[in-house]
Amino acid sequence: MKKESKTSRYLIPAALIVCALAFIVTGILDKEVLTVLRKAAAICMECIGLG
Amino acid sequence: MKNVILWLFGIEESALSDPVTIAAIIASFAVIAAVIAVFIVLAVKRRFRIREWGNKAWQRTKLITQSCFFMLTNSFMVGWFKGTIYQGKLKYLCVPGMNCYSCPGAWGACPIGSLQAIFNDFDAAKSWVDPKTGTYVKVPKYWFAFYVIGLMMLIGAVCGRLVCGLLCPFGWVQDLIYKIPVKKLRLPRDEMRIANSKHPKAVRFFLGLDKYLRYAKYAFLIVMVIFLPLMVKADPWFCKYVCPSGMLLGGIPLMSMNKSLADAAGSLTLLKLCILASLVVISIFLYRPFCRYICPLGAIYSFFNKVSLYRYGIDDASCNRAKGCAACAHACPMGVDPVRDPNSLECIRCGTCAASCPKKAIRPGFRFKTAEGNAIRTKKSK
Repeated sequence: MKKESKTSRYLIPAALIVCALAFIVTGILDKEVLTVLRKAAAICMECIGLG
Repeated sequence: MKNVILWLFGIEESALSDPVTIAAIIASFAVIAAVIAVFIVLAVKRRFRIREWGNKAWQRTKLITQSCFFMLTNSFMVGWFKGTIYQGKLKYLCVPGMNCYSCPGAWGACPIGSLQAIFNDFDAAKSWVDPKTGTYVKVPKYWFAFYVIGLMMLIGAVCGRLVCGLLCPFGWVQDLIYKIPVKKLRLPRDEMRIANSKHPKAVRFFLGLDKYLRYAKYAFLIVMVIFLPLMVKADPWFCKYVCPSGMLLGGIPLMSMNKSLADAAGSLTLLKLCILASLVVISIFLYRPFCRYICPLGAIYSFFNKVSLYRYGIDDASCNRAKGCAACAHACPMGVDPVRDPNSLECIRCGTCAASCPKKAIRPGFRFKTAEGNAIRTKKSK
Protein backbone atom coordinates (compact mmCIF):
# COMPACT_ATOMS: atom_id res chain seq x y z
CA MET A 1 0.00 0.00 0.00
CA LYS A 2 1.20 3.48 -0.89
CA LYS A 3 2.26 5.31 2.28
CA GLU A 4 0.87 8.72 2.99
CA SER A 5 3.54 11.40 2.99
CA LYS A 6 3.84 14.14 5.57
CA THR A 7 3.30 16.72 2.83
CA SER A 8 0.02 15.27 1.56
CA ARG A 9 -1.21 14.75 5.13
CA TYR A 10 -0.76 18.39 6.11
CA LEU A 11 -0.53 20.40 2.88
CA ILE A 12 -4.17 20.12 1.81
CA PRO A 13 -5.67 21.12 5.19
CA ALA A 14 -3.14 23.97 5.49
CA ALA A 15 -4.13 25.25 2.03
CA LEU A 16 -7.80 24.97 2.99
CA ILE A 17 -7.22 26.90 6.21
CA VAL A 18 -5.43 29.71 4.34
CA CYS A 19 -8.23 29.76 1.76
CA ALA A 20 -10.86 29.85 4.55
CA LEU A 21 -9.12 32.78 6.25
CA ALA A 22 -9.02 34.64 2.93
CA PHE A 23 -12.77 33.98 2.48
CA ILE A 24 -13.49 35.27 5.99
CA VAL A 25 -11.53 38.47 5.40
CA THR A 26 -13.26 38.96 2.03
CA GLY A 27 -16.65 38.47 3.70
CA ILE A 28 -15.82 40.96 6.44
CA LEU A 29 -14.64 43.56 3.89
CA ASP A 30 -17.77 42.95 1.84
CA LYS A 31 -19.90 43.65 4.96
CA GLU A 32 -21.51 40.20 4.95
CA VAL A 33 -21.05 40.17 8.71
CA LEU A 34 -23.57 43.00 9.01
CA THR A 35 -26.18 40.86 7.27
CA VAL A 36 -25.39 38.00 9.67
CA LEU A 37 -25.70 40.27 12.71
CA ARG A 38 -28.90 41.92 11.44
CA LYS A 39 -30.54 38.52 11.01
CA ALA A 40 -29.15 36.93 14.17
CA ALA A 41 -29.88 39.82 16.54
CA ALA A 42 -33.64 39.77 15.90
CA ILE A 43 -36.02 36.91 16.64
CA CYS A 44 -36.19 34.88 13.43
CA MET A 45 -39.92 34.29 12.99
CA GLU A 46 -39.40 31.70 10.26
CA CYS A 47 -37.01 29.69 12.43
CA ILE A 48 -39.40 29.50 15.37
CA GLY A 49 -42.33 28.46 13.19
CA LEU A 50 -44.25 31.73 13.04
CA GLY A 51 -43.51 32.54 9.37
CA MET B 1 -15.59 46.66 33.67
CA LYS B 2 -19.15 47.91 33.49
CA ASN B 3 -18.70 48.94 29.85
CA VAL B 4 -17.25 45.53 29.00
CA ILE B 5 -20.29 43.82 30.53
CA LEU B 6 -22.67 46.15 28.69
CA TRP B 7 -20.85 45.48 25.39
CA LEU B 8 -20.59 41.75 25.99
CA PHE B 9 -24.23 41.30 26.93
CA GLY B 10 -25.52 43.85 24.39
CA ILE B 11 -27.71 45.61 26.94
CA GLU B 12 -28.40 49.25 27.86
CA GLU B 13 -27.04 50.77 31.05
CA SER B 14 -30.59 51.19 32.39
CA ALA B 15 -31.02 47.39 32.30
CA LEU B 16 -28.49 47.08 35.13
CA SER B 17 -31.01 48.52 37.56
CA ASP B 18 -33.17 45.43 37.07
CA PRO B 19 -32.34 42.73 39.68
CA VAL B 20 -33.41 39.93 37.29
CA THR B 21 -30.89 41.13 34.70
CA ILE B 22 -28.15 41.32 37.34
CA ALA B 23 -28.97 37.79 38.53
CA ALA B 24 -28.95 36.57 34.92
CA ILE B 25 -25.55 38.14 34.22
CA ILE B 26 -24.09 36.51 37.34
CA ALA B 27 -25.65 33.18 36.32
CA SER B 28 -24.12 33.50 32.82
CA PHE B 29 -20.64 34.02 34.25
CA ALA B 30 -21.17 31.13 36.69
CA VAL B 31 -22.17 28.75 33.86
CA ILE B 32 -19.22 29.81 31.67
CA ALA B 33 -16.78 29.41 34.60
CA ALA B 34 -18.22 25.98 35.47
CA VAL B 35 -17.96 24.79 31.86
CA ILE B 36 -14.35 26.00 31.54
CA ALA B 37 -13.51 24.25 34.84
CA VAL B 38 -15.03 20.98 33.58
CA PHE B 39 -13.07 21.19 30.31
CA ILE B 40 -9.83 21.82 32.24
CA VAL B 41 -10.49 18.82 34.50
CA LEU B 42 -11.24 16.60 31.48
CA ALA B 43 -8.07 17.77 29.73
CA VAL B 44 -5.88 17.34 32.82
CA LYS B 45 -7.27 13.84 33.40
CA ARG B 46 -6.52 13.06 29.70
CA ARG B 47 -10.14 12.13 29.17
CA PHE B 48 -10.03 13.26 25.53
CA ARG B 49 -7.47 10.55 24.68
CA ILE B 50 -10.14 8.25 23.33
CA ARG B 51 -8.01 5.12 22.96
CA GLU B 52 -6.83 5.17 26.57
CA TRP B 53 -10.35 4.69 27.90
CA GLY B 54 -12.93 1.98 27.40
CA ASN B 55 -16.06 2.73 25.43
CA LYS B 56 -18.20 3.24 28.55
CA ALA B 57 -15.86 5.88 29.99
CA TRP B 58 -15.51 7.58 26.60
CA GLN B 59 -19.31 7.75 26.14
CA ARG B 60 -19.51 9.50 29.53
CA THR B 61 -16.77 11.99 28.54
CA LYS B 62 -18.48 12.56 25.21
CA LEU B 63 -21.83 13.31 26.85
CA ILE B 64 -20.18 15.70 29.34
CA THR B 65 -18.39 17.48 26.46
CA GLN B 66 -21.60 17.81 24.46
CA SER B 67 -23.56 19.08 27.47
CA CYS B 68 -20.84 21.56 28.40
CA PHE B 69 -20.54 22.91 24.87
CA PHE B 70 -24.31 23.35 24.69
CA MET B 71 -24.24 25.24 28.00
CA LEU B 72 -21.29 27.37 26.86
CA THR B 73 -22.89 28.49 23.59
CA ASN B 74 -26.32 28.95 25.17
CA SER B 75 -25.39 30.61 28.45
CA PHE B 76 -26.89 34.05 27.77
CA MET B 77 -29.04 33.77 30.87
CA VAL B 78 -30.73 37.15 30.38
CA GLY B 79 -32.53 35.54 27.43
CA TRP B 80 -33.56 32.45 29.41
CA PHE B 81 -34.73 34.58 32.38
CA LYS B 82 -36.64 37.18 30.37
CA GLY B 83 -37.76 35.37 27.22
CA THR B 84 -35.64 37.50 24.88
CA ILE B 85 -32.60 36.80 22.69
CA TYR B 86 -29.02 38.04 22.69
CA GLN B 87 -28.51 41.13 20.52
CA GLY B 88 -24.85 41.90 21.21
CA LYS B 89 -21.84 41.92 18.95
CA LEU B 90 -20.83 38.26 19.48
CA LYS B 91 -23.61 37.38 17.05
CA TYR B 92 -21.28 38.41 14.25
CA LEU B 93 -19.74 34.97 14.78
CA CYS B 94 -21.29 31.65 13.86
CA VAL B 95 -21.24 28.72 16.27
CA PRO B 96 -19.96 25.46 14.75
CA GLY B 97 -23.12 23.36 15.22
CA MET B 98 -26.86 23.57 14.47
CA ASN B 99 -27.74 26.10 17.16
CA CYS B 100 -30.67 28.40 16.30
CA TYR B 101 -29.83 32.09 16.78
CA SER B 102 -33.33 32.58 18.11
CA CYS B 103 -32.56 30.35 21.07
CA PRO B 104 -32.90 32.63 24.16
CA GLY B 105 -29.45 31.63 25.39
CA ALA B 106 -27.52 31.66 22.09
CA TRP B 107 -24.43 33.86 21.99
CA GLY B 108 -23.65 33.20 18.34
CA ALA B 109 -25.36 32.81 14.98
CA CYS B 110 -26.44 29.57 13.31
CA PRO B 111 -24.21 28.91 10.27
CA ILE B 112 -27.03 27.51 8.12
CA GLY B 113 -29.37 30.38 9.06
CA SER B 114 -26.60 32.90 8.34
CA LEU B 115 -25.87 31.30 4.98
CA GLN B 116 -29.51 31.70 3.98
CA ALA B 117 -29.63 35.25 5.39
CA ILE B 118 -26.73 36.25 3.12
CA PHE B 119 -28.37 34.64 0.09
CA ASN B 120 -31.65 36.37 1.01
CA ASP B 121 -30.10 39.83 1.17
CA PHE B 122 -30.88 41.90 -1.92
CA ASP B 123 -29.42 44.97 -3.54
CA ALA B 124 -32.13 47.66 -3.40
CA ALA B 125 -30.30 49.86 -5.92
CA LYS B 126 -30.24 47.11 -8.56
CA SER B 127 -33.67 45.64 -7.84
CA TRP B 128 -36.54 46.78 -10.06
CA VAL B 129 -40.29 46.54 -10.67
CA ASP B 130 -41.23 44.39 -13.65
CA PRO B 131 -43.55 46.61 -15.77
CA LYS B 132 -45.38 43.60 -17.25
CA THR B 133 -46.27 41.79 -14.05
CA GLY B 134 -45.86 44.62 -11.54
CA THR B 135 -43.76 42.41 -9.26
CA TYR B 136 -40.66 43.63 -7.46
CA VAL B 137 -37.66 41.73 -8.80
CA LYS B 138 -35.00 41.42 -6.11
CA VAL B 139 -31.40 41.17 -7.25
CA PRO B 140 -29.28 39.25 -4.69
CA LYS B 141 -26.64 41.36 -2.99
CA TYR B 142 -24.27 38.43 -2.58
CA TRP B 143 -23.89 35.52 -5.00
CA PHE B 144 -21.42 33.76 -2.71
CA ALA B 145 -21.36 33.81 1.11
CA PHE B 146 -17.62 34.29 1.63
CA TYR B 147 -17.83 34.93 5.36
CA VAL B 148 -20.03 32.02 6.43
CA ILE B 149 -18.53 29.55 3.94
CA GLY B 150 -15.06 30.68 5.10
CA LEU B 151 -15.99 30.00 8.73
CA MET B 152 -17.42 26.57 7.91
CA MET B 153 -14.39 25.80 5.74
CA LEU B 154 -12.06 26.75 8.59
CA ILE B 155 -13.86 24.49 11.05
CA GLY B 156 -14.12 21.71 8.45
CA ALA B 157 -10.46 21.94 7.47
CA VAL B 158 -9.39 21.64 11.11
CA CYS B 159 -11.70 18.91 12.36
CA GLY B 160 -14.28 17.82 9.73
CA ARG B 161 -17.42 16.27 11.22
CA LEU B 162 -15.98 16.20 14.74
CA VAL B 163 -18.40 19.09 15.28
CA CYS B 164 -21.33 16.72 14.61
CA GLY B 165 -20.04 14.14 17.06
CA LEU B 166 -19.05 16.38 19.95
CA LEU B 167 -20.22 19.98 19.57
CA CYS B 168 -23.63 20.08 17.89
CA PRO B 169 -26.53 20.81 20.28
CA PHE B 170 -29.11 19.04 18.14
CA GLY B 171 -26.83 16.02 17.87
CA TRP B 172 -26.57 16.04 21.66
CA VAL B 173 -30.38 16.11 21.97
CA GLN B 174 -30.64 13.11 19.61
CA ASP B 175 -27.95 11.27 21.59
CA LEU B 176 -29.91 11.83 24.80
CA ILE B 177 -33.14 10.57 23.21
CA TYR B 178 -31.33 7.49 21.84
CA LYS B 179 -30.42 6.59 25.42
CA ILE B 180 -34.06 5.61 26.10
CA PRO B 181 -33.73 1.87 26.70
CA VAL B 182 -35.80 0.21 23.97
CA LYS B 183 -34.84 -2.21 21.18
CA LYS B 184 -32.82 -0.25 18.63
CA LEU B 185 -32.95 -0.41 14.85
CA ARG B 186 -29.43 -1.55 13.96
CA LEU B 187 -29.01 -3.50 10.79
CA PRO B 188 -26.16 -5.98 10.28
CA ARG B 189 -23.73 -4.80 7.61
CA ASP B 190 -21.54 -7.78 6.86
CA GLU B 191 -22.65 -10.43 4.39
CA MET B 192 -22.41 -13.35 6.83
CA ARG B 193 -24.63 -11.71 9.43
CA ILE B 194 -27.12 -10.58 6.76
CA ALA B 195 -27.32 -14.15 5.40
CA ASN B 196 -27.84 -15.51 8.92
CA SER B 197 -30.55 -12.99 9.82
CA LYS B 198 -34.21 -14.08 9.89
CA HIS B 199 -35.22 -11.78 7.02
CA PRO B 200 -32.16 -11.24 4.80
CA LYS B 201 -34.23 -9.67 1.96
CA ALA B 202 -35.78 -7.13 4.31
CA VAL B 203 -32.37 -6.30 5.80
CA ARG B 204 -30.95 -5.74 2.31
CA PHE B 205 -33.93 -3.54 1.40
CA PHE B 206 -33.53 -1.32 4.48
CA LEU B 207 -29.76 -1.14 4.02
CA GLY B 208 -30.30 0.05 0.44
CA LEU B 209 -32.95 2.54 1.56
CA ASP B 210 -30.62 3.90 4.26
CA LYS B 211 -27.78 4.20 1.76
CA TYR B 212 -29.79 6.29 -0.70
CA LEU B 213 -31.62 8.34 1.95
CA ARG B 214 -28.24 9.54 3.21
CA TYR B 215 -27.85 11.52 -0.02
CA ALA B 216 -30.97 13.51 0.95
CA LYS B 217 -28.91 15.81 3.18
CA TYR B 218 -26.96 16.98 0.12
CA ALA B 219 -30.26 17.63 -1.66
CA PHE B 220 -31.46 19.68 1.35
CA LEU B 221 -28.23 21.68 1.22
CA ILE B 222 -28.34 22.40 -2.50
CA VAL B 223 -32.08 22.97 -2.86
CA MET B 224 -33.32 24.46 0.43
CA VAL B 225 -30.22 26.27 1.68
CA ILE B 226 -28.68 27.54 -1.57
CA PHE B 227 -30.96 27.35 -4.63
CA LEU B 228 -34.37 28.38 -3.28
CA PRO B 229 -33.18 31.29 -1.05
CA LEU B 230 -30.93 32.63 -3.83
CA MET B 231 -32.99 32.07 -6.96
CA VAL B 232 -36.66 31.65 -6.08
CA LYS B 233 -37.82 33.64 -3.05
CA ALA B 234 -35.94 35.51 -0.35
CA ASP B 235 -36.93 33.22 2.49
CA PRO B 236 -34.82 31.05 4.78
CA TRP B 237 -36.42 27.94 3.26
CA PHE B 238 -34.63 25.34 5.37
CA CYS B 239 -35.16 27.23 8.64
CA LYS B 240 -38.77 27.98 7.77
CA TYR B 241 -40.02 24.61 6.55
CA VAL B 242 -37.66 21.98 7.96
CA CYS B 243 -35.27 22.93 10.78
CA PRO B 244 -36.35 21.11 13.97
CA SER B 245 -33.48 22.71 15.90
CA GLY B 246 -35.06 26.16 15.52
CA MET B 247 -38.34 24.86 16.87
CA LEU B 248 -36.76 23.03 19.78
CA LEU B 249 -34.17 25.59 20.87
CA GLY B 250 -35.93 28.77 19.73
CA GLY B 251 -39.63 28.28 19.10
CA ILE B 252 -40.69 26.27 22.14
CA PRO B 253 -38.77 28.32 24.78
CA LEU B 254 -39.73 31.69 23.27
CA MET B 255 -43.37 30.80 22.79
CA SER B 256 -43.62 29.40 26.31
CA MET B 257 -42.25 32.67 27.72
CA ASN B 258 -44.04 35.17 25.44
CA LYS B 259 -47.81 35.10 25.17
CA SER B 260 -47.77 37.37 22.11
CA LEU B 261 -45.57 34.91 20.22
CA ALA B 262 -47.63 31.93 21.35
CA ASP B 263 -50.78 33.67 20.10
CA ALA B 264 -49.20 34.06 16.66
CA ALA B 265 -48.73 30.28 16.27
CA GLY B 266 -50.38 28.83 13.19
CA SER B 267 -50.12 26.11 10.56
CA LEU B 268 -46.38 26.62 10.08
CA THR B 269 -45.84 26.12 13.81
CA LEU B 270 -47.84 22.90 13.58
CA LEU B 271 -45.79 21.69 10.61
CA LYS B 272 -42.52 22.33 12.41
CA LEU B 273 -43.79 20.74 15.61
CA CYS B 274 -44.78 17.64 13.62
CA ILE B 275 -41.30 17.44 12.03
CA LEU B 276 -39.70 17.83 15.46
CA ALA B 277 -42.00 15.23 17.06
CA SER B 278 -41.33 12.75 14.23
CA LEU B 279 -37.58 13.15 14.60
CA VAL B 280 -37.81 12.74 18.36
CA VAL B 281 -39.77 9.49 17.96
CA ILE B 282 -37.42 8.15 15.24
CA SER B 283 -34.39 9.12 17.39
CA ILE B 284 -35.56 6.68 20.08
CA PHE B 285 -35.00 3.76 17.69
CA LEU B 286 -32.50 5.01 15.11
CA TYR B 287 -29.24 6.78 15.94
CA ARG B 288 -29.28 10.44 14.81
CA PRO B 289 -31.81 10.40 11.96
CA PHE B 290 -31.48 14.16 11.45
CA CYS B 291 -27.69 13.94 11.03
CA ARG B 292 -27.99 10.93 8.70
CA TYR B 293 -30.63 12.18 6.31
CA ILE B 294 -31.37 15.88 6.71
CA CYS B 295 -28.62 18.06 8.21
CA PRO B 296 -27.14 20.43 5.57
CA LEU B 297 -24.40 21.51 7.97
CA GLY B 298 -23.27 17.90 8.38
CA ALA B 299 -23.34 17.64 4.58
CA ILE B 300 -20.95 20.60 4.31
CA TYR B 301 -18.59 19.31 7.00
CA SER B 302 -18.62 15.82 5.45
CA PHE B 303 -16.78 17.18 2.38
CA PHE B 304 -13.86 17.99 4.69
CA ASN B 305 -13.72 14.63 6.50
CA LYS B 306 -11.13 13.19 4.14
CA VAL B 307 -8.88 16.26 4.02
CA SER B 308 -9.14 17.78 7.51
CA LEU B 309 -6.17 18.20 9.81
CA TYR B 310 -7.80 16.01 12.49
CA ARG B 311 -8.50 12.62 10.95
CA TYR B 312 -9.17 9.05 11.88
CA GLY B 313 -6.46 6.62 10.86
CA ILE B 314 -5.84 2.88 11.02
CA ASP B 315 -2.67 1.30 12.29
CA ASP B 316 -2.87 -1.67 9.94
CA ALA B 317 0.02 -3.41 11.71
CA SER B 318 -2.05 -3.67 14.90
CA CYS B 319 -5.50 -4.13 13.35
CA ASN B 320 -7.05 -7.59 13.70
CA ARG B 321 -9.43 -7.31 10.73
CA ALA B 322 -7.58 -10.06 8.86
CA LYS B 323 -8.34 -12.40 11.78
CA GLY B 324 -12.05 -11.65 11.55
CA CYS B 325 -12.36 -8.89 14.15
CA ALA B 326 -14.99 -6.27 13.30
CA ALA B 327 -15.55 -4.70 16.73
CA CYS B 328 -15.30 -1.16 15.35
CA ALA B 329 -17.77 -1.76 12.52
CA HIS B 330 -20.28 -3.32 14.92
CA ALA B 331 -19.84 -0.50 17.45
CA CYS B 332 -20.22 2.38 14.96
CA PRO B 333 -23.69 3.88 15.53
CA MET B 334 -23.64 5.55 12.10
CA GLY B 335 -23.14 2.25 10.28
CA VAL B 336 -19.64 3.01 8.99
CA ASP B 337 -16.83 0.47 8.73
CA PRO B 338 -13.82 2.47 9.99
CA VAL B 339 -11.23 -0.06 8.81
CA ARG B 340 -12.52 0.05 5.24
CA ASP B 341 -12.93 3.85 5.18
CA PRO B 342 -11.68 5.61 8.34
CA ASN B 343 -12.75 9.04 7.10
CA SER B 344 -16.07 8.17 5.51
CA LEU B 345 -18.39 11.10 4.70
CA GLU B 346 -20.87 9.53 7.12
CA CYS B 347 -18.46 9.37 10.07
CA ILE B 348 -19.40 11.94 12.73
CA ARG B 349 -16.18 11.27 14.67
CA CYS B 350 -18.00 10.32 17.85
CA GLY B 351 -15.02 8.17 18.87
CA THR B 352 -17.06 5.05 19.60
CA CYS B 353 -15.01 2.91 17.17
CA ALA B 354 -11.66 4.04 18.61
CA ALA B 355 -12.86 3.41 22.16
CA SER B 356 -14.22 -0.03 21.21
CA CYS B 357 -11.16 -1.34 19.34
CA PRO B 358 -9.54 -4.13 21.42
CA LYS B 359 -6.16 -3.55 19.70
CA LYS B 360 -6.31 0.27 19.91
CA ALA B 361 -5.64 0.31 16.16
CA ILE B 362 -7.93 3.25 15.37
CA ARG B 363 -5.97 6.45 15.74
CA PRO B 364 -7.92 9.72 15.84
CA GLY B 365 -5.65 12.73 15.70
CA PHE B 366 -3.18 14.77 13.70
CA ARG B 367 -0.36 12.27 13.26
CA PHE B 368 0.58 10.13 10.27
CA LYS B 369 2.79 7.69 12.16
CA THR B 370 2.41 5.89 15.48
CA ALA B 371 4.99 6.26 18.27
CA GLU B 372 6.31 2.82 17.22
CA GLY B 373 6.85 4.10 13.67
CA ASN B 374 3.92 2.27 12.04
CA ALA B 375 2.18 4.14 9.24
CA ILE B 376 -1.32 5.39 10.02
CA ARG B 377 -3.62 4.90 7.04
CA THR B 378 -6.25 7.61 6.66
CA LYS B 379 -7.39 6.56 3.19
CA LYS B 380 -9.82 3.84 2.08
CA SER B 381 -8.46 0.29 2.05
CA LYS B 382 -8.30 -1.33 -1.37
